[in-house]
Amino acid sequence: MSLFLLTLGFGIVTSAVLALAAVGLSLQFGVTNYVNFAYGSFLAFGMFFTYTAQTALHLPIWLAAVIGVVATGLVAVVVDALVLEPFVRRGTSGFFLLIVTFGLSLILLNLVQAIWGVGFDEFQVAAGNPVNIGPFSFTAAQIWVVGIAVVTMVAVHLLLTRTNLGKSMRAMSDNAPLARATGIDTRKVTLWTWFISGCLAGLGGITLAFNTVEFQAFTGNTFLFVIFAAVILGGIGQIYGAMIGAIIIGLVVNFAGLVISSAYDLDAAFAVLVLVLVIRPQGIIPTIGKA
Amino acid sequence: MSGSSPAPQPAARPAPQPAGQKVVDEILEVHDLVRSFGGVRALTGCSFGVERGSITALIGPNGAGKTTLVNVVAGAIRPQGGKVLFDGRDITGRPSHEVALGGLIRTFQISREYPAMTVLENLMVSPQRQAGEKLATVLFRPGKFRAEERAHVQRAVEVLAEFGLYGKRNDYARALSGGQKRLLELARAVMADPKMLVLDEPMAGINPALIERLADHISRLRDERGTTFLMVEHNLDVVEKMCDRAIVMAVGQTLATGTMAELRGNSEVVSAYLTGGVVEVGAKG
Repeated sequence: MSLFLLTLGFGIVTSAVLALAAVGLSLQFGVTNYVNFAYGSFLAFGMFFTYTAQTALHLPIWLAAVIGVVATGLVAVVVDALVLEPFVRRGTSGFFLLIVTFGLSLILLNLVQAIWGVGFDEFQVAAGNPVNIGPFSFTAAQIWVVGIAVVTMVAVHLLLTRTNLGKSMRAMSDNAPLARATGIDTRKVTLWTWFISGCLAGLGGITLAFNTVEFQAFTGNTFLFVIFAAVILGGIGQIYGAMIGAIIIGLVVNFAGLVISSAYDLDAAFAVLVLVLVIRPQGIIPTIGKA
Repeated sequence: MSGSSPAPQPAARPAPQPAGQKVVDEILEVHDLVRSFGGVRALTGCSFGVERGSITALIGPNGAGKTTLVNVVAGAIRPQGGKVLFDGRDITGRPSHEVALGGLIRTFQISREYPAMTVLENLMVSPQRQAGEKLATVLFRPGKFRAEERAHVQRAVEVLAEFGLYGKRNDYARALSGGQKRLLELARAVMADPKMLVLDEPMAGINPALIERLADHISRLRDERGTTFLMVEHNLDVVEKMCDRAIVMAVGQTLATGTMAELRGNSEVVSAYLTGGVVEVGAKG
């Protein structure tokens, strides 16, 4: 009864966190056509930039979070411009780029540890009383997380369907050489894609930190595989698929914790992933095009 | 940033030059282009000019370097030597998107489209001369955004109607037939309102009826909009019928230029290409 509803509530919050992170990962894959394993470290940057802005600069949490999000976006741009673009220009194939991003992931995660230490930290937010919405009971932070996710999803939708940048991103994802030939500056679009992907990773990291309360450098990276599960379930490179995948995986993870044991909740995400790969490897929304 | 043309030309196309040599207004000039791929010398000092408002053919045996030339002109490949001047501006080695925004649009030998977008969206992507649609405009000035969007859709619909693709506007581009994809490619190029179109084998692999339709479209665009065309073409009947002049390439160089009648009298050209004779070439196009 109420345990079911409570789990559903937690599931919605997890889905919200997952949606933010999954859309960022899927967007970057869709446009640039290679997987970024260093994405987990972007989540860590989001958490720790915000943490520093709040504790060292004594900024209110919302402002600290804005700084954290933008700074993570900039980290992603720098990583792309300095490390990944030279490989792409040389014509390095997707598989080798995957190894490059894996190496990057190790470097960046250790960099985060070197800067911010190995211990657990947490944001300073007043716990407040739980708020009851219908049958659900949420903390104020959880309501924020869900609200931010909904607003962000709408913004991403508007970006992709209504703006020039979004249309250019979709065009590049569909057929990059053609996009260049029709006058789209694919170099610029790539940098913007990394910025937005980094911002979403930062936002995913911050909301994840709210959800888990305590966090350290590898918190985001542990979550990366759940993000992958959501992205692959939705159809890799498919933004709306990633949103749907995030909702399903978020609920599965929480209900698995209820039905089996919370020790195995993340493993449930992998079970879903394996099932998807066996039954419908193209994901919910299959990727078409990719010329 | 649109390049200023040295001699402003009336919108309508100038009458074809009579045989007597006059000063020709060349929209595209190519000087001594060189490009090798490993040991393969695709371009070995290729030079020619394309007259503004003309339909010029680029012919030559397979491996003559025609496609490499198109790629270099359009900025997809950097030349190792030589110069490309378009509309009075040096565009040598400029990236593709800059060349496209400058008014030179190319199409591909195997037609390309955005398969996961509808036919209408394929045209809407073309970002040229579009007022900036920023997210801020979308969110905070929806009226302005909608007006711009409406004008843009209106134009795309007109272009589609022009090419007989209006009925297909909501179909995914991947569902089109080969011939329709050719038309879509031309329609998308026109949407960008180009000064010059470089078409790489636009007639390849389509049926004779459609070849005629495409030829009509190309002639109409030249007459109505004054668009200059440079087209790589193997079908010499088509070239004879619709092109003012032809440039013959062989082994990475320009062999000759002139009208088809003039070229027929050139024994070098005839042996290299027009008789379909075998030419040994060490280059790959």
